[in-house]
This record gives sequence, structure tokens and C-alpha cells, in this order.
Amino acid sequence: MKRRLLIFGSALAVYAFLMAVAWEIGTRQANRNTEWLLDYAVMDVHDTVAGAIDTMLGHVARTAVRHVGNVPVPLPSERMKAGAKELDIDEVNIVNREGVIIASNDPSFVGTKMAGDPVMGEFMALTNGVTATISQPFRPNALNPQLRAKYLAVAFPGGNGFVQVGLDERRLARMLPEILGYIFDEWLLGKTGCFLCADMETGRLISNPSRHRDEAKTLAETGFNLADAEPYEIMADGKSLGRTFRQRIFGEPCFCRNFIFGGHRFIAVLPQKEFYDTRTVFVSVFAVLLLVVLAAFAIFADRIFRDSDRLKAFYAEDEARREKDMTIAKTIQMAALPVGLPPSPSFRVFAAMQPARDVGGDFYDYFALDSSHVAFLVADVSGKGITAALYMMTAKTLIKDTLLAMRDPAAALTSVNAELCANNPANMFLTAWVGVLDLETGVVSFANAGHNPPVRVKGHDRGGAVEFIPAKSGPVLAFMDGVKYASRSVRLDPGETLFLYTDGVTESIDANGELFGEERLANAVKAVPDPEPHTVCAVVRAAVAAFSNGLPQADDITVLSIRYIAPPRGFSRTFPPTQEGVAEASAYLDEIFAKEDARCGEGAALRLAAMSSKLHIIQDEICSNIVKHSGASGFEIELVMEDDPFGVKMTFIDDGVAYDPLSHALPDTTLPAEKRPIGGLGIMMVKKMATSISYHRTRNHNFLEVTLASPK
Amino acid sequence: MTIEKKLENGKLTLAPSGRLDTNTSPELEAALELEGVTEVVFDFAGVEYISSAGLRVLMTAQKAMMACGGTMCVANPNAMVKDVFDMTGMTGIFTIV
Repeated sequence: MKRRLLIFGSALAVYAFLMAVAWEIGTRQANRNTEWLLDYAVMDVHDTVAGAIDTMLGHVARTAVRHVGNVPVPLPSERMKAGAKELDIDEVNIVNREGVIIASNDPSFVGTKMAGDPVMGEFMALTNGVTATISQPFRPNALNPQLRAKYLAVAFPGGNGFVQVGLDERRLARMLPEILGYIFDEWLLGKTGCFLCADMETGRLISNPSRHRDEAKTLAETGFNLADAEPYEIMADGKSLGRTFRQRIFGEPCFCRNFIFGGHRFIAVLPQKEFYDTRTVFVSVFAVLLLVVLAAFAIFADRIFRDSDRLKAFYAEDEARREKDMTIAKTIQMAALPVGLPPSPSFRVFAAMQPARDVGGDFYDYFALDSSHVAFLVADVSGKGITAALYMMTAKTLIKDTLLAMRDPAAALTSVNAELCANNPANMFLTAWVGVLDLETGVVSFANAGHNPPVRVKGHDRGGAVEFIPAKSGPVLAFMDGVKYASRSVRLDPGETLFLYTDGVTESIDANGELFGEERLANAVKAVPDPEPHTVCAVVRAAVAAFSNGLPQADDITVLSIRYIAPPRGFSRTFPPTQEGVAEASAYLDEIFAKEDARCGEGAALRLAAMSSKLHIIQDEICSNIVKHSGASGFEIELVMEDDPFGVKMTFIDDGVAYDPLSHALPDTTLPAEKRPIGGLGIMMVKKMATSISYHRTRNHNFLEVTLASPK
Repeated sequence: MTIEKKLENGKLTLAPSGRLDTNTSPELEAALELEGVTEVVFDFAGVEYISSAGLRVLMTAQKAMMACGGTMCVANPNAMVKDVFDMTGMTGIFTIV
């Protein structure tokens, strides 16, 4: 609503402004036209009146020439006076070829020489026989400057002198009505203007437009106000055409010019409406047109804004819907990722995916193939967003189903690739690293389809070494039909961890555009105190976050870590209650240790070697005690080897007399040698070496449980 | 278990090798003939570990030497053996070189 007011307000303001401009332009043009027309009319009237006088005087002079007899004759002044009266003229002179007045109605002029006179000298041109008539304008009379007079001369045939006639304004005033007749009666100025001509003394109108004939006989009756009118003596210079003024004539506002001539006031009257009407029409038409244009514009603008509002609302709604879709898609996608497996004593796995946008193309998976094999994988679908997410769902399901069916990563990827190539309308592709961990042996068989090499992390107590699994990779999936993927394997020692990731990790960028890279990844993993899967993942993600330092995440970041833990292994054997049985038991330990050495990696073997002597001593002390004192029919040793944490539990079971070796006081080891009892030292050594030791008797059997943890 | 035995001028040197436990200690004890011996040297360079049965043999030798004014020492024990000596308070009794 506010905007609509603004639009229409602006349109109105523009309208008002343009109208004011149009009005001003129209008025100026009307005034200019008025001035031009008045200029023209005044010139025209002046020329007409002057021409009429010249015609009249020329006729008079030529009549005189004829009367004189076509030659200059010095007629007596009485005759000249009679002639002047007859011709109704003020002055008549006969001038000879030499320019001397030889006859005049005023005897005092006779003998006056015209040649050389600045004013009268003009007439001497008549004596050359070429020019027949010369007219002079009204000028102040030499004798009476208040009275203006005009002279005209006509040559005798052959330039033999000339007749000069003179007319003063007083006589002209009397003659004018006759001269002008009614030439102004029908004379239109423009379309509606007219001319008035009034006697200066009486104010009587001698010329009056016929259409106003009955309205006025005198100038005053026309409404003309003499006080406001500045008369202009147009004849004074013949150039300036006077100044326009406004008067109300015949009840109508008019532009006027006036000039005085021959005792009469000539007034050009042009009603204002002559041009102002045109202006008003022009402005009105303009006003209507402009109104239409601006109204159309305002409506159009309003509609555009309304449409734009609707579009904005539509897009906002669309965006909200898309966002909701994305959230749902993300939920579905995240739900497709595994959340965990039942706890297993043989491995631990952790994974996380952090999409760059709402839904990503990365995924991971892990699932049990059977009781002793677990599959795990990380993959990266080209692109991001919904398309990648949809493809990811397909690929994930396909890989899982194929792996469950075929069990071998390479065979599965070969089959998956063929399947994906057969139907790939969107030309998507993906990289994947798929591994299967054998929980019995720690061997990971794997196949790689163009994916980043995983990191192998040894336990911190085994040096914490970090290395990338260097295996030649096959091509990306869904890219080329008929590809056969190679199967490779790596053996994890118990306690070792594999770390899988997508390029979102190594290709994270810092503020300088530098890549996170494999070296930083290796260093981050190396810094993990204990390579527990969730710790490794958390540490790497934190390192990447610190590296990119708040920059927007360009790609999905996926991490998966799996740690192999050998399950505890139990062994047991029964021995006869003899010294030979003790020796056999010692040999039995050696046998188990050799087995463990073969089974476990180098690190585990080293740790076992460090513990082996103590284990032997413990076995020797306990077993010899049983043999010597219990009277048992035999004894059994149960051995449990554990990797996590590394340790050995030995349980000695016998059916002899109830005997808790822990209930006896330890011998005093501060006594001198000669007082030292030999007995009890063995148990003391066992107690000191063992990490823990406990005794219980159940069903007439003694159970002595001794554990020994790996030395730190 | 093998035991190298050397007797010269009343000095008996015994160099057992391997484990010194209930199985093997009787052999060492048998080799410990102290007639006219005033000095006993156990060269333990080849001993892997020692249990209380082995300690008992050493104690027997030590007590015999103390009774006749002779001397006894244990030479070249490994870390495991030294640990056992420490644990059992033998470090203050035996002369260890």
C-alpha cells in the first residue's frame, strides 16, 4: 500500500511538473507569437498609411505639374496660393533645374536654393531626368518645430525642375479619414484582432472594426484607457515598433500597441485569446495525453511491483520447500549410513560424514559378512546435492548387496562397476575403497576404485608409526565398462587401526588456498595418543576444521576408522603332579608363546618376549608348590592371551588340599643370609611380579589366578 | 641346562646356561661340590631367569662360604635375574659383579 502511494504520488509530482513546464512553454510561445504578429501589423499599417499619403501627394504634385504646363514657370504667388487651396495643400513650390524656388504659395520662399541643403538637397536628384518622384517622411517643420510636415516632389518632364508639395500634420489629420476611408473596418489582425484609429483631439474613432461599429464612437467607449497606454511615435525613427501593453478592449483582455501619426492614434488590438487559446488547447491536450501516459505508467509499474512481489513470495516459498526437501533428503541419507555394529571383541569401527551442502555425495558403510569377516568402505560420488545423494543411495545399496553376495572386494567392485556402467544416464561416477577384515587373522583384503589411500596406524605402544597403504588403484566406478579390479591385502597387527577418508579431508583449503594434504593428515593421525577409531576421526576432523579456520566447506568430509583387536585366546592343559609335570608345564608355555609369535605381528611378539621370563618364573613357583605340598592328583594351567590391553592371565587349578598361598605372611627380606628361610620366597616373587593375583576354592579345587600386563 | 664347572686353587667357578628353575636347580646344586673350596663364582652370563629354586642353591652356597670364611659372588646376571635379586632382598646378601 505504501509503495502504491509512492508510485502514484511520484506520477502525480511528475505530472504537475511537466504541466507547469508545458504551461510555461505554451505561454512563452503565445507571447512570442503575439509580439511577432503585432510587430508585423504595426509595420503593415504604417506602410499602408504612409503609402496612401504618398499616393495622394503624388497625385497632387502631378496635377500641379500639369497645371503649370510641364515646364517650370515663375507664377505669381496669388496664383500659387489659389492652386494650393484648390489642391488642399499647405505648401506648393515650383523649382527650376538649378534647384531654386521660382514660385511658391509663400512668397518668402521664392529664391531659396535647394541644392546643397541637407534636407531639401535630396530633391535635386529629380533634375537628372531619371527619377520622377521623391517623397520625404514627416519631419519637424523648419519654421514651426511643433508642427511636423512632409514634402514630396514630382519632376517636370526631362528633369527640367520640379514641383514640391508640402503637407503638415494638422492638414493631414483633417484629411486622414478621407485618405484611409474604411480600410481598417474589415482589416483583421490575426484571426480576432483589429485596428482602431482615433482622432487625437476629439477621440472620435475614424476607423472602427465593423463588428464593433455600434459599440463605440469614441476611443474611450471601446474601453481603451489612455492613462495606461504609452503612445509611440513610430514615425520618429521608423525602426522601433513600440511596446506591447494590456488593455481591456470591447470588454475583452487584449494585447495592444499604439502609435501616433498624422494627429491620429493608431492602435493594434490583439485579444489575448488569439494565441492563449491555442496555448490552452495545447496544454489541455498535453495534459490529457500526459495523464493517460502517466496513469498507464503508474498502473504498469504497480503491476510490475505486484508481480515482482508475487514472484518473490513464490521463490521464497519454493526455497523453503526445497530446503525442507533437502532436510528430508539429508535425514534419509544419514539414516542410510550405518550407526554401529554390535560390540565385537575383535574390532571397533567409527565413521562420520559431514556434507558440504545439505546432502552430499560421500558415503561410508560397514557391515558384517559373517561372524569372522567385516566389510567397510568409503566412497565419493562425483558432484553434490540431490543428484549425487540419489546416486549415492543406489551405489551404496548395490555395493552392499554385491559384497554380501560375493564377499571379495575386488570381485564385488568389478560386478558393481559393470552394473553401474550398464545404466548411467546422468554420467555420474564414484571412487571407493572397499576392505574386508578377517577377524581371525587381521588380514584386510581390499580393492580400490580411484580412491585416496587409507592410513595405517600402529598402536602408540608400538611406535605409533603411520603409513599410507600404497596400492595401485583401479579406475573410478561407473566410468568404464569391463574393468577388472585387483584384490590386494594388508595384515593388521592386533591394535592397529586403518583410517579411510574422502578427498574432502586432503583437499580442504586454508585462507591462503593451500591444500590440507597427505602430510598434514599423517601428522594429525600420528598425534593421536591411542588410535581408537572415534579418536582418530575426531582428531582428523578437528585438524581439518582448524586448518580451514571457518572457511566454507567445499566438499563433503567423510572419515572412517577401523581397529583390529585380536580376541582373547585361551589355552589349557593338565599335568601330572610331578617334577616332570612342572617341566612339561614350562615347555607348554613355550609352545603357546611360539604360537602367539606366529599368529600376531612383530609388535605383539616383542611384548610377549619381554614377559616370557616372568611368566615362566610364576609358572615354576606355583607349579612346584602344588607338586610339593598339595597332594593333588594333577594340576591344570589355563592361559588367556589378550591384546586389548595386551596381557596374559594364568590360572592354576588343582584338586589338592585347600591352600591359599596369599594368606601367608611374606618372608622378611631384610634378615641376614644365615637367618633367611628359604621357603616363601617363591610366592613373594609371584606376588611382586604379578599385576594382580587372586585365589578362590570352588568345588574342592584351588584356583589361583595370576595376571601379567604388558610392561609400559 | 648345561653347567660349565671349573675348580682351581680352591676357587670354584660354575657357569650355568638357560633357565634356573625347579627343573634345573638340582643340577646346579649337584655341581656345587664345596670340598676345599674357599671361593665360589657363579657366572650367570648364560642364565635366562632364576626362580626361587635357583635362589635356594645360591643361598646354600652363600651360607657354606660364610661358615668356612670363604667368599661367593654372582657374575654377569641379566636384568631379569637382577630384578629377582632386588625383589627378594638378595642384592644385599650376594656379592654381584
